[in-house]
Order: sequence, then C-alpha cells, then structure tokens
Amino acid sequence: MIMRRTPSSSRLPVLLAILVGIVALLGWHEPRFIEINNLINILRQSSMVGLIALGMTLVILTGGIDLSVGSLVAVSALAGAGAARAGVTFPLCWGAALAAGALLGMVNGLGVARLRLPPFIMTLGMMGFARGLAFMVTGGKPLTGFDASFRWLGIGGWMGLPLPIWVFGGFFLVVWVLLELMPWGDQVRSVGSSPRAAWGSGVNVPGVTAQVYVLCGVASALVGLLLAGRIDSAQPTAGVGYEFGAIAGVVFGGTSFSGGRGSLVGTVIGVLIMTVLESGMNMLNVNPFAEQVVKGVVIAAALVLYGRTGQALRG
Amino acid sequence: MAGKWQRFGSLAVLIVVVVLLALVDRDVIDPKNVANVLAQSTVLGVCAVGMTFVILTGGIDLAVGSVMALSGVVGALANTAMGLPWPLAWALGLGAGMMAGALSAALIAWGRMLPFIATLCVMAIARGITLLMTQGSPVSGLSPGFTHAGWASWGAVPITALIFLLLATVAWVVLAKTPLGPHVRAQGDNPEAARLAGLSAPGLTFAVYMTSGFCAGLAGLLMAGRLWSAQPAIGTGMELDAISAVVLGGTSLFGGVGSIGGTVTGTLIMGFLDNGLRLQGVASYVQISIKGAVFVGAVILDLAMKGHYSRRRSRDA
Repeated sequence: MIMRRTPSSSRLPVLLAILVGIVALLGWHEPRFIEINNLINILRQSSMVGLIALGMTLVILTGGIDLSVGSLVAVSALAGAGAARAGVTFPLCWGAALAAGALLGMVNGLGVARLRLPPFIMTLGMMGFARGLAFMVTGGKPLTGFDASFRWLGIGGWMGLPLPIWVFGGFFLVVWVLLELMPWGDQVRSVGSSPRAAWGSGVNVPGVTAQVYVLCGVASALVGLLLAGRIDSAQPTAGVGYEFGAIAGVVFGGTSFSGGRGSLVGTVIGVLIMTVLESGMNMLNVNPFAEQVVKGVVIAAALVLYGRTGQALRG
Repeated sequence: MAGKWQRFGSLAVLIVVVVLLALVDRDVIDPKNVANVLAQSTVLGVCAVGMTFVILTGGIDLAVGSVMALSGVVGALANTAMGLPWPLAWALGLGAGMMAGALSAALIAWGRMLPFIATLCVMAIARGITLLMTQGSPVSGLSPGFTHAGWASWGAVPITALIFLLLATVAWVVLAKTPLGPHVRAQGDNPEAARLAGLSAPGLTFAVYMTSGFCAGLAGLLMAGRLWSAQPAIGTGMELDAISAVVLGGTSLFGGVGSIGGTVTGTLIMGFLDNGLRLQGVASYVQISIKGAVFVGAVILDLAMKGHYSRRRSRDA
C-alpha cells in the first residue's frame, strides 16, 4: 500500500523522455517543427483533448469511464451559443454552457453512483442521448456568428500564449490541487482502489463518484466554449471521437483502468505525446484516416504493456 | 425471478410496445408493415445474436458497428476491385469480421484488457482501416450475386429474414443443445469457478468474440447488399442497438443468464420502436436520444429484475 503510487511516478521520466525524443526526431527531420510558434500551436491543440483528459483521469481514478464527453462538448457549446444568439451577455452564456455540461455530468454520476449502472453503459447511453439533444437544440443546424466577447476564450491570448493554453493550465492547477493537496484526492483514489474499504472508512462513495463525472462534464463544456469561440460556430456534430483521444492520453500517461492509480502529470504528458504524434503524422503527410488506427493501436499497446509491467511490479 | 423475466418479461414488453404503438397508429400492425419491420430488423438481429454469446460470458463487444463497415467494404472491394466471384468475396468479408473478433479476444485473453476497452480500440482500428481502404467514399458496382441476399425475397419472405432465422436457430442449438452452451454461461456466471473446472477461458473468449465478429460481418454484407454499395461510415451506433436488443431480451449484462429466443424478441422490440417512431415522423436525431434512453432503461430494468436495488442485497455488489 505504501508503494501505491510508485509505479506511475517512476513512469513519468520515461514518458517525458519519449515526448522529448519524438519532438527531437521530428525536429531533426523538419527543423520548422521545433520553431517556437509550432510548439505553441501544438500546446494549443493539446488543450482541447487535454482538458477532457484531465476530467477523464479523475473518472478513471474512481474506476469509471466517461464515453459521453464528445456529445457533452456539442450540447454545452450549443447551450452557450444559443444563449449568445439570444443576446445574453457573455459571462452568462459561458455559465449556461458550463451548467449544461455539469448537469449532464451529474446525470452520469447519479446513474453510476445511485443506480449502480456500469459506467461505460451509463455514459454510452448518455453519448447517444446527448448527441440527439445537441441536434434537437437547433434542428440539426449549426449556430454561427458570435460577438468577439463570446469568442474570446477560443481566440484570445495573454502574455503571448493563446487563451486555450491558459484555460488548460488553469484547469490542471485546480484539479491538481483538489487531487494532490486536498483530502478529496485520497477519497477519489480510495473509491477507485477499493470502494468497500472507502465506504468503511466513512468516504461518501456515491457523492465522490458523482462529483468526478460533474467535473468531467465541466471540462467538456470548457472545450465546447473554446471550440465554438475558435471556429465561430457551434456544431451539433462537434466532439465526435473526443472520448477516444482523451482515453488514449490518460492511458498513455499511466493511469490504471482498475482505478486508484494514476497521475494528472502523466495524463498531460500522454496527451502531449498523442498531439505531437498526430501533428508529426500530418507533417509527414500520413493519411488522416490512419491516425484513428494509430490511436487504437497505441491505447491497446500501452494497456497491454502497462498490464505486464504492473504485474511484474506487483509480484 | 430472473428466469421468469427472461422467459416472459421481454415478450410482455414486446406486446406492450406493439399495443401502445398500434393505439397511436393502426398502420403499425398492418401485415405489410409488420413484414417491413421483420425485414428491417434483421441486420440488427444478426448483430445481436453474436452479441448474445459475448454478453453471456460477461463480456461486451463495442466494435460491431465498425466491423459491419469493415466486412462490407472488404467484401465489396474483393468483388469489384479484385473481381472475385461473390461467394469468395463474402468469405473474405466474413473472414475480416472474424479477424477483428480474434483481435478483440487476443487483447482480452492475452493482453488482460477489459472487454469494453479492448473492443473500443478494435472499434477505432476497424473504422480507421475501413476509411483507409476506401478513402472515405462508398464502394459501388457490386455484382448481382453479391447484393442478392440483401434485398431479394423468396415469395413474400425476404432472404435476410431467412438468414436471420437460420442464424438464430443455429445459435439456439449451440447454446441449448451442445456443451458449449453451459461453458459460455459458466464463464459469465463465475469466471474463476469456470477456470478451476478446467474450462479454457482463452479458447472460449476467442470463440465468442469471433462469433460476434462473424455475425457483425454478415450484417455488414447484408447491409451492403440492401444498399447496393458498401458504405465506410455505416454501423455507427449499432453497438447501442445490439446491446439494447440483447438486454431487452432478458440476457443479463453481467453474464450467465439469457437466451437466443430472448434476443429475437428484443430485436423485434427495437424494430417496432424504430418503425413506430419513424411512422410518427419523429426526427432521426430525436430517435438517437430515445435510443440512448432506452439503452440505459433496459439495463436498469435488468438490474431491478435481478433484485439489484432491493434492500437485502443492497451492499452486495
């Protein structure tokens, strides 16, 4: 038990070395790849999937999964965009989007915590339900043409960095403090590693479980706002497949599906590796359809590999 | 409790759904429409039969929709680009489906991955390969033999319906009359006990996931026949419908309990729901939402019937 976090933390330097290695290789092949602008661009691209991956890490730490994140991106973006088009001032529009994400995340959480549905069943159902909802909001049409104030999160910048990176960093900080410095973090990990022991030691298991799904919904809503702002359009088809990129990052970062073990820093590095790979494949003109295959193979390979090393470490 | 639900519960749900739909719109029980429902639910039914095997072992196959597309495209390309006669092209398509199933099984049995994660990976890989092979555009120009089974009828009975009945019968015989049936259920009931009893877990895992891959592949080939072309984007969301049909048919999502007869009933429930909503002019995107809710509802019903929510066993799970 004392060594609980050792496997994942000893993995971090290796992950970091992989990341640096890939960047160096790509930079050696194409010097423009390691120009500062391109690196900032890669960070900006990472922030979308990265935000969701942070929420997903919390969910997976409790032994769950959230397959509905992509659909929640679309619903919350449309909720915010609908409010913006109705002339509501922008902080309230953002609030509407975040509330939509939190609410649907709460439904996920209650289904898992109270009705004790298997998480992938609850969130697979929500994936369909929320996607349909996103189409219903506008009858299938995208909403476009927003004020610059509404779009600010997606297109603005501060101190030379695009705002999405700041949002990503800010959310990371909040979640990191919650997970690593607050008693809440231990509760999350204990729900994942042994729900019964957690129950016995007085942890509010259903409450903590519901909370991580709410946070994952909020992360999805943030992505919805960033995306809508960036492309000046809220699409009902937004976010399709985001769950997969996020899970890939989380898994690559060493968070275990059996719950309890994993780290946010690992997730961030995992997401960065996936984005760098993707952008490298773009640069090398790899067919975009191949990226999906690569993601699937990477998740499977990482899980099989970590499964083996995990076993070796345990016994 | 579970036994009764399994035998009569799903039949009761089917009758209630049909009666409710008929009250709203008499056309639902028009013989012509009923035949239509039967024909249209066969593709789902074929997938659901394979899914039943997987779920009985306590597993899940989220890749069925992608495998449908993969098999359809592999078969279609073999038929058009390679010019192979349709039986060979079909065999290649079915082979691709079984390969995908074998990959899922290998990840689960040897890679020790959770079934839903393993099949989620295969879902992405199969869809990606399908899109790579076609560059995203449909494959048309199929030979008449290739498409025949997908759209033609013998007398009044669509060939797809016959294939579905044949498949369901074979599956029923395998589960009810051969030793494989008890093995499959034992695996779902208590994997540890099954292993101690000497039932080969990896062998069984390969058998059920390859069965599911075969069925999804068959569904994809029938679909390609019906549409006269293989669509790389087809089958999205099929896993949701297939799991719903299986669970509505009384097969427990947690393995061990269930039957093919139930899955046929569950398929008809999904078919009538689909048909009824469409007859009422409900927009397709509203149907997506309703199906998501039905999916979760079916699982809640399954849990409730198993006494999951009763006080006595409440801390058992």
